[in-house]
Amino acid sequence: MKSTQYSEKVLDHFRNPRNVGTLEGANVAWGEVGNPVCGDLMKMYIKIEDDKIADIKFQTFGCGSAIATSSMITEMVKGKTLDEALKVTRQDVADALEGLPPIKMHCSNLAADALHEAIKNYREQKKAKVPLPVVRATKGPAKEIIGEKEFLKKGVYYTVDDPSLFKDKRVMVLDRGNKSLETALALTKHTGRVIFVTPSKAISAEAELATRLRQSDVKIIYESDPLEIRGSEEVEKVLIHDLNEDEEYELFVDAVIILK
Amino acid sequence: MGSYLDYQSSKPVDPRVIEAMMPYFRERFGNPSSLHGEGDEATKVLEECRQTIAGFINAEAEEIIFTSGATEANNVALIGYASRNKDKGDHIIISEVEHISIHNIAKYLEKNGFKVSRLPVDQYGKIQVQKLASRITPQTILISIGYASNEIGTIQPMAEVGAFAREKGIAFHSDAVAAEGLVPLDVKRDLIDLLTLSSNDIYGPKGIGVLYVRKGMRVNPLIIGGGQERGLRSGTENIAGIVGMSKAVEIMRTEMTAEVKRLAGYRDKLIKNILARIPKSHLNGHPTDRLANNAHLRFEAIEGESLILALRDEGVSAATGSACSSKTLEPSHTLISTGLLHEEAHGSLEFTFGRFNTEADVDRVIEVLPPIVERLRKLSPLYKAEETAT
Repeated sequence: MKSTQYSEKVLDHFRNPRNVGTLEGANVAWGEVGNPVCGDLMKMYIKIEDDKIADIKFQTFGCGSAIATSSMITEMVKGKTLDEALKVTRQDVADALEGLPPIKMHCSNLAADALHEAIKNYREQKKAKVPLPVVRATKGPAKEIIGEKEFLKKGVYYTVDDPSLFKDKRVMVLDRGNKSLETALALTKHTGRVIFVTPSKAISAEAELATRLRQSDVKIIYESDPLEIRGSEEVEKVLIHDLNEDEEYELFVDAVIILK
Repeated sequence: MGSYLDYQSSKPVDPRVIEAMMPYFRERFGNPSSLHGEGDEATKVLEECRQTIAGFINAEAEEIIFTSGATEANNVALIGYASRNKDKGDHIIISEVEHISIHNIAKYLEKNGFKVSRLPVDQYGKIQVQKLASRITPQTILISIGYASNEIGTIQPMAEVGAFAREKGIAFHSDAVAAEGLVPLDVKRDLIDLLTLSSNDIYGPKGIGVLYVRKGMRVNPLIIGGGQERGLRSGTENIAGIVGMSKAVEIMRTEMTAEVKRLAGYRDKLIKNILARIPKSHLNGHPTDRLANNAHLRFEAIEGESLILALRDEGVSAATGSACSSKTLEPSHTLISTGLLHEEAHGSLEFTFGRFNTEADVDRVIEVLPPIVERLRKLSPLYKAEETAT
């Protein structure tokens, strides 16, 4: 079956998704499930009253069935107890949608996972009484990257004296604190493609710098570590480790800036 | 009737082509291998068509081999050439942005003892000849670079690659399917040794294609039988298909200049309007060195298959490089090669115009796409953060 041959029920939920949005306030928790390789990202918000799901909202970045399964599951579990909701499986969601193309089963898996994650977060919140999610602390001496020395001045640079030399290049700037952020911003005047790679979950910069960064075209890749710089005679790609999903992938670039 | 903007994946056959083909199903059914009158008539038309198609790419008639399509032609070019010339070396170079058929043939050759280098491209999907030079070894026997990307429409510097390969004594193959009918092809100007053409991509029937094999190049056949096509492609000739492809070439030769101008107008109007009307949208591929019919756009924070489904509801047919729409659930290799992240490749939409489009099709997309993007972004957890940024 082709990926786009969906049941009428899937198309209905895609065209008119139910319970879109976010929730805030007391007794609210949320779960997030992503897949950097396929690119889907799903956020499920639940509001709990008397151990029941009083309200539920979702946001989804993904294909037709990712949107439809998110929408479907919100209808299925509203009013249910948390234990009942935890029993809802990807198969249940697919069945409720009158079937999914086999290749798409992983998407409905995400909807159930995101809900289960939200419930888990809610219960941990109750237990620990600390707000979630916890921001990972990842400071420490930066370790050398494989290939860093081999490609020094052949695409790897420890300093940027003249950002105009990177005109129209795909430049990756590794997080080395505020100075590296300033460098990334300076490069955007000369090239449309600046990628900032940080192991952190969020950028901790002073307000003014953070604002400038948000308004810029710098593409930030969070929770990621460069493992290896690859190429033939000069830098051509970087192997990135996605810390959150524990997956590796290659990113094609022309230069890597590692401020020392 | 909806707006079909996916000419890259399939084209309707021009009615004039169908008319030219019709007699060859009933009245003129002869086999060129037969010695009687019907056979002679078939031979005559076969050779006329061969001449016409050779002229389209500035080749000689005897350099044209008819195949069942472009995929077969690519197979003969790579596997046929590599296996015939393996005493000279075992190394082949392709680019990262080749059509899937070239990528998979290269993988097959790797399993069979050949080494393959994949040439990276710049952010626009263009190869650089200097990078080619760094990959040449004494074992390199073949370079295969697509004339233009079938996805993002970037046109490669063919003449430069051709001159480089000829100087090094390395055979140069090009899959020209995406470019044919949009760019004037000339194997002598570009010093091309092997060239793949498809009939459907110039509004001819499916099931017929051509491999140009320059005089003196040696390739092994993949289909063995009665020795047709100089022994390089056995099997009774598909005369109706060949007549159709030849007619398609004739039409293209007279109409191409005007058609390319018209399609480029549609392309530019679409790109300009979409980039202006939809925030956080980008053009994939080269801003100027791109096929006249190709508008490949990217929208942050939304996914391509969702876009296709929503466009379908509005009667617009387009394509996407999103992983969600592919059989393997992998994003477009071409888009990744230009340096995009998976999530960025995800939000890509490909519009390819063709002979039977009108300006109304362009206007339709400009009208329906912005609200679709807005609606899908409202569902997206990625867009909120970006909204606050603008």
